[in-house]
Amino acid sequence: MKHSFIALIEDKCTSCMLCVRECPAWCIHLDSHTVDVTDEGARRPKKVNVLDSFEIDYSLCMYCGVCIDVCPFDALAWDEHRALVTTNREDMLLGIEELGPSGSS
Amino acid sequence: MPRSSTWEKVEPADWRSTIEELRDKGFIFFDFLTGVDQENVDGSNACEVVAHLATKDLSSSHFVSTQVFGELPSITDLIPAAQWHERECTEMFGIQFIGGSANPLLRHEYLGRPPLRKSTVLAARVLTPWPGAAEPEIKEDGRKVGNASRRRQRPPGVPENWLQT
Amino acid sequence: MTRYALTSDPSVSVEVVSASLACCTLELQVALSSGALTRVPEGDVGPSVIVIAGTVTDALVPSVLELIHSYPDTKVMSFGACATSGGPYWDSPPVSKGIDQFVEVSTYVAGCPPRPDAFIQAIQELSVNGAL
Repeated sequence: MKHSFIALIEDKCTSCMLCVRECPAWCIHLDSHTVDVTDEGARRPKKVNVLDSFEIDYSLCMYCGVCIDVCPFDALAWDEHRALVTTNREDMLLGIEELGPSGSS
Repeated sequence: MPRSSTWEKVEPADWRSTIEELRDKGFIFFDFLTGVDQENVDGSNACEVVAHLATKDLSSSHFVSTQVFGELPSITDLIPAAQWHERECTEMFGIQFIGGSANPLLRHEYLGRPPLRKSTVLAARVLTPWPGAAEPEIKEDGRKVGNASRRRQRPPGVPENWLQT
Repeated sequence: MTRYALTSDPSVSVEVVSASLACCTLELQVALSSGALTRVPEGDVGPSVIVIAGTVTDALVPSVLELIHSYPDTKVMSFGACATSGGPYWDSPPVSKGIDQFVEVSTYVAGCPPRPDAFIQAIQELSVNGAL
């Protein structure tokens, strides 16, 4: 596996913030909100986090893989995505859409 | 890599004599000397100084460490090669080596604080908004009305109320 | 200074000046000798790309600027996280937070260090954009 890209598997992310807090470069930004979900037969609703946005700033990322290691739900993974070359520094900020694993698109 | 290595913790008063004894016993290869900040280990402002010596054929090696509060006798008269390491240790960890060289190694003025000490706060870590401070928000009609957790998070390496003091 | 052509497309050739500041330089050397580039005779047009590879400290900024200004029409490539934003040293006081603060950058290459194919891709994209 090439260590050339860190991909986000959106469905697995629970917005627990662990990757954001452990990142030594502070290059991950995550926004989420909480909703009440009532399961059938449950007595009271449970709180569920919904991921609003997830961004990795690849101009800062040092590909250390700490975020991949700490993710308890394997929502982040090494990926053989294309190497990232841009003409704008802002284009290095990748959101949920661009972070999808290479097999999915 | 040496085949056998031993660790020994000594009192600062025995620092020189231990090194001298080891050198005379044949541990003549001086590998390095460095500081290890103990702040997060025991809460004190102590710094550990570690020296690594090995025999000439590298078959056996010895780590000597001592806990230092600010100063330690220099070993440069016993092992001249230690001078560079002691000067680095002085600049990076703020440890004074009594009888050692007073020449600075890089001479960078760093707010007057040794840069490798954990108590030296990097201003960029305070002034940059920490992305980890965010919490899942509670929203009503798309508007934020609160945070899921009331626990305030601080970024690693930034003490509480650092800007206020 | 040596001129290189893309092995896959010899019509694209670049002359690279590299500011070798830190470990990214090693990866750049790997990219230059990876086989994707072939050495070709030096032309008389001068260098086409200045690659800033590595950590730029504030103390080094004048030297880096001098290098860049000595080749006025040459594109600047920010190679790796350090040159782009400070990278792993983003919180370090002596390190400048990205060379785009003081010079116009044509291409940013992500990575710490960037992979050799990222450099080849950057050269390709520069040539597609007509920058070379």
